[in-house]
Amino acid sequence: MIEEPYRWVEAIATRRDYIEMQLATGSPVVAVGYVDGILLFTVGQQKLFEIYDRIALGAIGHPGDIERLRMAAIELASTEGFTRSAADVSLRRLAYYSLSPVMKNAFEQIYGAPFLARLLFVEIGATPADDLFLEVDYDGAIHLRSTNEGNRPFAVLAATKKSAEQMIEFLRKQFRVGKNLAETLDLALDSWLIGQLKADDAVPADDELRRQRSERLGNGTISAAVLERHANMAVRYRAVGASELAPLIAK
Amino acid sequence: MDKPALDLGADFPSLLRRQGLLDPPAPVVSTRAEIVPTESTTILAFKFADGVLVAGDRRATSGNTVVYDRADKVLEIDRRSIMAIAGVPATAWEMARVLEHSFQFFRRTQLQEMSVDGKVRALSKLLRDNFGFALQGIGVVVPIFATFDAKVSPSARLYFYDAMGAQFEATDFAATGSGSPAVRGILYFENTWGEKPLQKISEDDAVVVALRALDTAAEADTATGGIAGGKNR
Repeated sequence: MIEEPYRWVEAIATRRDYIEMQLATGSPVVAVGYVDGILLFTVGQQKLFEIYDRIALGAIGHPGDIERLRMAAIELASTEGFTRSAADVSLRRLAYYSLSPVMKNAFEQIYGAPFLARLLFVEIGATPADDLFLEVDYDGAIHLRSTNEGNRPFAVLAATKKSAEQMIEFLRKQFRVGKNLAETLDLALDSWLIGQLKADDAVPADDELRRQRSERLGNGTISAAVLERHANMAVRYRAVGASELAPLIAK
Repeated sequence: MDKPALDLGADFPSLLRRQGLLDPPAPVVSTRAEIVPTESTTILAFKFADGVLVAGDRRATSGNTVVYDRADKVLEIDRRSIMAIAGVPATAWEMARVLEHSFQFFRRTQLQEMSVDGKVRALSKLLRDNFGFALQGIGVVVPIFATFDAKVSPSARLYFYDAMGAQFEATDFAATGSGSPAVRGILYFENTWGEKPLQKISEDDAVVVALRALDTAAEADTATGGIAGGKNR
């Protein structure tokens, strides 16, 4: 019966609802450019990862699915980097050519299991204009965020469409070029808090937001990582240390 | 992306082999051919007060001809390890490349740094896989591997290998390559009869010892380049 086109469309729609429901409790991930590179930020269990020299990943979804996709991405990037060179590893190609078709396929094969995961890849370039923010959704859809020549270098991964929009709206208002890491961590945390709002909550004012920090953070641990633009090393990924995060919690 | 129900993920060389990007281990065939000692180089390493110093000459030879005098024989593998190579450059550099990627691949997939023992063993495995070629006399590589283990003190660790992949931890110093007999003599002398044991000397003094040792090796061994440059170098 599922062979009938209408049934198929119906089954896909049901599956979409099911996945959205599964993802609805995910803790948002924020990626924001700052003066020395790009910051990735989230609260909760480990879900920021190094993929290759210049590529990092943030994800929400089922840990098992995230892990499979992460391993696939690392394997692809590493073999490419080994046979050619690190400079030839392209996030664009990794997402469009390898990950997206596989995820789309899994999503549409209604007798198999889809990937319960939403991925946000970040690639650091030579200048802010070359940075890439790329989101791959559970159905293989890709959203390539234009950095607008480095003037709008941010992207988010949220549990629902509405929180994603609110977070982006907030970042659009608050983002300034040339902020340092500490300021950007502040901005990322605020944006994460916005992503935690319930569907009908209004966006609180700045000082109200600050007051909510400790309450909303609860027992969650902040994790943050950066891709540094002018690091002396080939590997640009660095986990942000506890000492750099301490001021955030103290406030 | 599909993989058997449970595993911990492949190590990097087997991943490469699965995709045909790295040669399978050469078969070890019984042969009476002698291993041609093509390790025409001198590399040395010793521990000094602040760490490990690894040095090598930069001459590359083919038979009696000097082909190149800017060869890199001391290679950075990652922030914590250095490999120095004596032997056939094509094999040695490929090995270094595989090793470098293996360590990074491990860190990225397993979300932790590979242990010192794991790193030492990884190089040993590569040498072992290469043994078939070494037996055929076409790919002998004899490396020195220096790294540090932040968890223990003193943290510097130094290993040398034979062509079959056996690893030996050196307490004070190691040297391999055709010029190594002279170097080993010097390092032994410095360590035992010098003003201070090598592990107590400063970085500046360590550099002096290394350069003198290389110069001495070059004096007797044609395949080892000297250290002195001409007026314009």
